[in-house]
Amino acid sequence: MATTTNTMASFLTATQRYAAGALFALALHQAQINRSRPLGLFPDDEPPSDDRTSSSSGGSDSVADDPDLWVHEISGLLRPVFRFLGIESVAWSGLEETAGSSPAKHHVGAFLRLLAEEENGENSDQELALSRAVDAMARSMEKTLEVSESKKEKRREYENEWREKCSTAEVQSNMDAAGIKSEVQKSTDENNLAIEDGLDGSGSKVDEKPIEEVVLGYQRKVTVLYELLTACLADTHADNKKCTRKRKGYDARHRVTLRLLATWLDVQWIKMEAIETMVACSAMALAEKKEESNEEPQSSKSKWAKWKRGGIIGAAALTGGTLMAITGGLAAPAIAAGLSALAPTLGTLIPVIGASGFAAAASAAGTVAGSVAVAASFGAAGAGLTGSKMARRTGSVDEFEFRVVGENHNQGRLAVEIMVSGFVFNEEDFVRPWEVQSDNLERYALQWESKNLIAVSTAIQDWLTSRISMELMKQGAMLTVLSTLVAALAWPATLLAATDFIDSTWTIAVDRSDKAGRLLAEVLLKGFHGNRPVTLVGYSLGARVIFKCLQFLAETEKNAELVERVVLLGAPIPIKDENWGAARKMVAGRFVNAYSTNDWTLGVAFRASLLTQGLAGIQPIDVPGIENVDVTDLIEGHSSYLWATQQILELLELDTYYPVFRGTKCIQ
Amino acid sequence: MESSSNQGEFDYLFKLLMIGDSGVGKSSLLLSFTSDTFEHLSPTIGVDFKVKYVNIGGKKLKLAIWDTAGQERFRTLTSSYYRGAQGIIMVYDVTRRDTFTNLSEIWAKEIELYSTNQDCIKMLVGNKVDKESDRVVTKKEGINFARECGCLFIECSAKTRVNVQQCFEELVLKILDTPSLLAEGSRGVRKNIFKERPPQSDASTSGCC
Repeated sequence: MATTTNTMASFLTATQRYAAGALFALALHQAQINRSRPLGLFPDDEPPSDDRTSSSSGGSDSVADDPDLWVHEISGLLRPVFRFLGIESVAWSGLEETAGSSPAKHHVGAFLRLLAEEENGENSDQELALSRAVDAMARSMEKTLEVSESKKEKRREYENEWREKCSTAEVQSNMDAAGIKSEVQKSTDENNLAIEDGLDGSGSKVDEKPIEEVVLGYQRKVTVLYELLTACLADTHADNKKCTRKRKGYDARHRVTLRLLATWLDVQWIKMEAIETMVACSAMALAEKKEESNEEPQSSKSKWAKWKRGGIIGAAALTGGTLMAITGGLAAPAIAAGLSALAPTLGTLIPVIGASGFAAAASAAGTVAGSVAVAASFGAAGAGLTGSKMARRTGSVDEFEFRVVGENHNQGRLAVEIMVSGFVFNEEDFVRPWEVQSDNLERYALQWESKNLIAVSTAIQDWLTSRISMELMKQGAMLTVLSTLVAALAWPATLLAATDFIDSTWTIAVDRSDKAGRLLAEVLLKGFHGNRPVTLVGYSLGARVIFKCLQFLAETEKNAELVERVVLLGAPIPIKDENWGAARKMVAGRFVNAYSTNDWTLGVAFRASLLTQGLAGIQPIDVPGIENVDVTDLIEGHSSYLWATQQILELLELDTYYPVFRGTKCIQ
Repeated sequence: MESSSNQGEFDYLFKLLMIGDSGVGKSSLLLSFTSDTFEHLSPTIGVDFKVKYVNIGGKKLKLAIWDTAGQERFRTLTSSYYRGAQGIIMVYDVTRRDTFTNLSEIWAKEIELYSTNQDCIKMLVGNKVDKESDRVVTKKEGINFARECGCLFIECSAKTRVNVQQCFEELVLKILDTPSLLAEGSRGVRKNIFKERPPQSDASTSGCC
């Protein structure tokens, strides 16, 4: 495209880009607010909020006075996007202030209208082509998801295996516990209600936005999201040394913002994921093409050289095989296909949108992405994560390896998911609980300390099936709801004595999980995953690994650049003595604590003095911004997490911006 | 009121809004007020924002001034900025009659429609009095219109800086005179949502289930 290097090629007019930038700014600020007060979870401050929040949000005298704000210049989140969009710098402070000083809902409607109003006749063809390509891409991604239907079968198998193997004791107890359960139910009902309210609240909140009065075409929406994503990835920040954002690439906070924006625009998230893949693939293909043909000698070449040198890819380059990961894995088919250089999957879509339509789409996609060098941070991940057996180096952890799960690798996916098991009986249990899940992330399972974990899990399981615990169960000791035990400190002496032998293995495992957490934090900090937003999911001690990882991140990181979402299930983490606030701060989007009030396996293992501090796996955590989800009804015992995790994740609908737990709806 | 605060020393924060047709000199007026300079500016895009600390009536004040684009295409944005403003400055160009008539036909109606503040102080400003020879709107007309819609009135020039300081000063004095507006602007009202726990969360502590 015959554009100068500084101005991007855009399908939007200057005014539309201004509006898009404004909406992005509003969403960015809203996302930061929602981190400590999730959408709808505080319905009580909704009605009067109009004036109250307008005077309170952002601190607020003015955005410029509050460097902690994401919309503040120093965060490095907003201005690069403005710059990429070509919004004149005189307008920046006005936008920042607008976003930071009053509730988003006051302005969203106006900016949407501004976005919709202007016609851009000549570009509408390209908008159309782009949106078609996105649709096609999304369809192909959906198709791969459907395939995984058959996997559900697999999960059922796995579940059954497990029920046979280890649920005997637990199931029995739970059946007997039915009576007591109703008591639990009462307290959890309140909780469910809170979440329900949240749902309704958020629903109405979205409706509130006067979107319907604006006829903002679907194609325009897609174009806006496409250009905003490109802007997020673009290598246009520079100059500001004070900037607190440390790395280039896809910031987790940006992804959360785009997620909210897609919600406002009523664009399905899978469309956004399709856009991500297209931007990634076309950007990399273009970069590679320029390199090969040497057509545009200067800027692009040096950018690519910089990229290769590892300045951008960072430490991943040191692991070797990086370039192979890029050229061999991701971009090669794309390059071969020339301009139709989108994802390999797109190649099969030509019949759908027609060859010429495809060419148009490809060039439309490439125009924006290629006009500014994308600070490509992805692609290296495959080699980066699976290749990093860091344990040997540190010595304190015997095993720490990433295993590939799912089929989304080297497909230009711009987000990563790392899943950590914590209660395992053989090596397969590190991977199998995660195999079924269907989302569009590039997924890895962390295999760590299998020897110790298997030892502790087996010890616990043995004890559960031992005579003494059976005896206890009959007496009803185990049937008492755990949290009342916690509150009363009334542990039966027999119970305490009986678990002595679990303690030694448990203590080792806990210690290792803390160390594994540090390793995981190091992996993320070094960008082995390619500076893409990470979603962390873990159960049992795996949840503890994740929590510790967040804590270690908090030691050096000021902000949630790396981690997008976190789900902890049945987490053996005390509530009182740990800094949950700091951990929460490391997560840009949703932070879920799934607990089961009946998980006394966890209680027994964890027990003793620690229980006075509360326990995340069996109780809600009272920290702003943490979604507590009661999964008691889905969990028969601690080992249920092995096969129930996927179901819980599905109910959580992680791809939804606001807190969701579908289970509550079903129960009631 | 005089709570010791570490951040920016001021007693009151007032939000002011500038409206009026494109090219009447809103941004120039603001620039002239905040930095005592005058230059030819390109049309404002969307909204601009400036802060100015002043001492008026023995009080330290922080003025947050929103300067909106007059261009038609941005009109849709302006509506959301009326909310919470304690003062609204309506600017016209004394050498262009349409900018004056538009104030009553368009802008005054917008205020009525969108302003959330009953007591909000309005000020009518005739700009560009340095071009006396080109003047088409007389001072008398301005005064009459101001009386009609119950607002303050001043004529000024952003270029020569005549009456610029006075314009903002009079507006602010009037705000200081209005108890309800004063209460809104006091520091006590505002707080930082990111540094405070939401009120609800204290209700339940961890052992509740």
